[in-house]
Amino acid sequence: MTKAAEQDLADAVNRTSAVGRAVSGLAVRQVRRGALVVLAVVAGTSALVAVQYRLVFADTFDAASLRALAENPAIRTLFGEPVALADPGGFTVWRTGTFVAVLVGVWALLAATRITRGEEDAGRWDLLLASRLPVPAVLARQLTVLAGAGLLIGLVLAGTMIVAGTAPGGSLRYGLAVGLVATGFGALGALTAQLAADRPTASGLAAAALAGGLFLRMVADGVESLRWARWTTPFGLLAEIQPYAANRTAPLFVLAAATGTLSVLALAAAGRRDVGAGVLPGRDIRPPRVRLLRSLAGFAARRSLRSLAAWATGLATYYLLIGLLADSLTGFLADNPRYAELAAQAGLVSLGTVEGYVAALFALLAIPVGVYAAVRISLDASDETNHRLALLLALPVSRARWAATEAGAVVVAVTLLALVSGAAAWAGAALVGARLGLGDALAGVVNGLPVVLLCLGAALLALGWAPSAVVPVGALPAAGGFLLQALAQSFGWPAWVGQLSPFSHVAAVPAEPPDWPGALGILAVAATLAVVGIAGYARRDLRG
Amino acid sequence: MEAIRTEGLTKRLGTTLALDGVSFAVPPGEVFGFLGPNGAGKSTAIRLLLGFLRPTAGRAWVFGDDAADVAEAHRHLAYVPAEVALWPYLTGAECLELLARVGGRTDLAYQRELVERFRLEPDKRSRAYSTGNRQKVALVAAFASRAPLLLLDEPTSGLDPLMELEFRRCIAEAAARGQTVFLSSHQLGEVEAVCQRVGILRRGRLVEVAGMAELRRLRRTEVRVSFAGAAPDLAGVPGVGEVREAGPGRLQLSLSGPPAPALRAIAAADLIGVEVREPTLEEIFLEYYGDATP
Repeated sequence: MTKAAEQDLADAVNRTSAVGRAVSGLAVRQVRRGALVVLAVVAGTSALVAVQYRLVFADTFDAASLRALAENPAIRTLFGEPVALADPGGFTVWRTGTFVAVLVGVWALLAATRITRGEEDAGRWDLLLASRLPVPAVLARQLTVLAGAGLLIGLVLAGTMIVAGTAPGGSLRYGLAVGLVATGFGALGALTAQLAADRPTASGLAAAALAGGLFLRMVADGVESLRWARWTTPFGLLAEIQPYAANRTAPLFVLAAATGTLSVLALAAAGRRDVGAGVLPGRDIRPPRVRLLRSLAGFAARRSLRSLAAWATGLATYYLLIGLLADSLTGFLADNPRYAELAAQAGLVSLGTVEGYVAALFALLAIPVGVYAAVRISLDASDETNHRLALLLALPVSRARWAATEAGAVVVAVTLLALVSGAAAWAGAALVGARLGLGDALAGVVNGLPVVLLCLGAALLALGWAPSAVVPVGALPAAGGFLLQALAQSFGWPAWVGQLSPFSHVAAVPAEPPDWPGALGILAVAATLAVVGIAGYARRDLRG
Repeated sequence: MEAIRTEGLTKRLGTTLALDGVSFAVPPGEVFGFLGPNGAGKSTAIRLLLGFLRPTAGRAWVFGDDAADVAEAHRHLAYVPAEVALWPYLTGAECLELLARVGGRTDLAYQRELVERFRLEPDKRSRAYSTGNRQKVALVAAFASRAPLLLLDEPTSGLDPLMELEFRRCIAEAAARGQTVFLSSHQLGEVEAVCQRVGILRRGRLVEVAGMAELRRLRRTEVRVSFAGAAPDLAGVPGVGEVREAGPGRLQLSLSGPPAPALRAIAAADLIGVEVREPTLEEIFLEYYGDATP
């Protein structure tokens, strides 16, 4: 090789590594905000529960009541097998472990499809790929960044647990496992982003896998003969580690191996496809389906259909399970008054009756459905930056009318989601002969709708005034409100703090009669937010 | 009543003044070219006309309706953006159906004809369309709408020469029907072929509004002449600008306006070769404005 050729090669290598650093830097910028939010929620929730345990629950669990809890299939199905409740760390893992794992998993898979397929959909990848890096090289760097973020979340979680006074061995294993769950779902998202040709499909495939994994864990925990299935799902593996009890290490290796396999598959798939296309053949030619394209309202409905079907399936499955477990759980609480007392301390009054039990779980419904409303409105914010709304808004359609049409579609969709969930819970209860009337079940879910509409109002407010923050602002009333109420009750904060949560103005229907003034008050706030938001949306500059 | 009228239209985007006191009017039925280099503020002006942006100062009217009142103003117009984004899961036919139904004024027979003429594959999902094909969907929707005013923002950047020709035919048909066309472009040839009047934007200011004949004054052709013997006498010949010696027996001159007098003068010499090169728009702008900044 001549000197000049050597110099050329060295220059090329330097340029390539500079491009690579730029790709990594971009990925870091794209994931850091979400990662920090997830990290704060995960570490904060875990620390609070661990501290709360010391303050409230310590010394209340005797051996007999623990055994009763561990042996109840309903408890095991919903929350996982309780293995170390006498330990603050073990209790925290049991109480929050599934939530934490689902949260980091959902974040990681959405972040992965967003920075890979999402960027490609938007055409922004063409610039990156026009540089010297092939697709797999870009993907490898993005996977590295996602893995780094996931493991960072896990390590901070482990550190937080140690600082909160739990045993280091269990803390490290638990944190590492959560980090590996995040990394694994990040790799899964990267893989589905190679398989599917658009971001919604890629995210949907990965989310369906996550929901499947969760369901598998529930089945494996509930049915003794299927216990082995815990080794086939990340949520089951998390439980197999038994942090703060057996402190096993083998499941960590399985999680790591799964992550590695998924990453390798993603990289292999990335090398075998065209830019802009997926590995799975997409049907790009089809006859027109125009029934819902004849009006704005029809179009708003059509934009909702696919994701609505997925959300409805997920929620119906969960609430069917809730219905199926109604007798078993309420019977357990009736037989173990100590737990009923604890539940009452946590604000879940009359959990010992079927009505009280479903009322508590119907209240939770506002969180996923509120998040649905926020995500659905965020579609308008992202369509705006992707220029997709330009042609529609150049028609004689005012922005206020378009936003109101979209909001109307969301109102219909969330009502359907609530009714489907209520009907599923009723069907589950009916199958096991638990006493829950269809009317009571539907009243329970409709009772939670004002909080969902508050989320919609907040999302519209953000669309008008802070369009890059539609999802966090829209989800705040439900998710933040629930957290605030739980914290205020657990730590005995002043009453007015708890009153800030919309949940404190919602009665436990069907166990109690509805709180009409509370519901009307929430609806009034929701309507005000919506009007102010739509006014802002109609007035401001369109972005993009 | 003018199809478009603006008065002191100004838009500040962050710290930059994207549009600075732009006032002009386009009478109904005119094909108006809107010229300017990238970043001059053409798209900003169009987005202000559409009410997508709120003016920092000044106002704009579309057929007498305030541009901010989009439900009224948009009854008069159809728009083709520079960068067309469609809903990826809808086919081209579905996008056209939605825009036609919600717009509520489309000539469906003309729409079918345009789909044929632009060779659009309507049953393809728009995510599989190239940039040019997405542009075609927007063009078909706009032309078929029969809107009195067509706002076209660099509508042909992705089209091949054949489709570019079809586009010019459509503009001619629209003009023949009395539609007003507002065509933003930086392709001088296209503007020259279809427009009756042009406005030239530079750094957010409208520096010139002129008829096509006046625009030709801008157009400077570069001529290289090589000859044996005496150089042609070009002193005082109409249309001849700067003349430079480009070596022994060679001249380079710039030419504007009708070329006949200059060519007669050149032909008087013992010519070996003549090379005529039309300058790019960029060169004209450079010559016209004196520097490269937009």
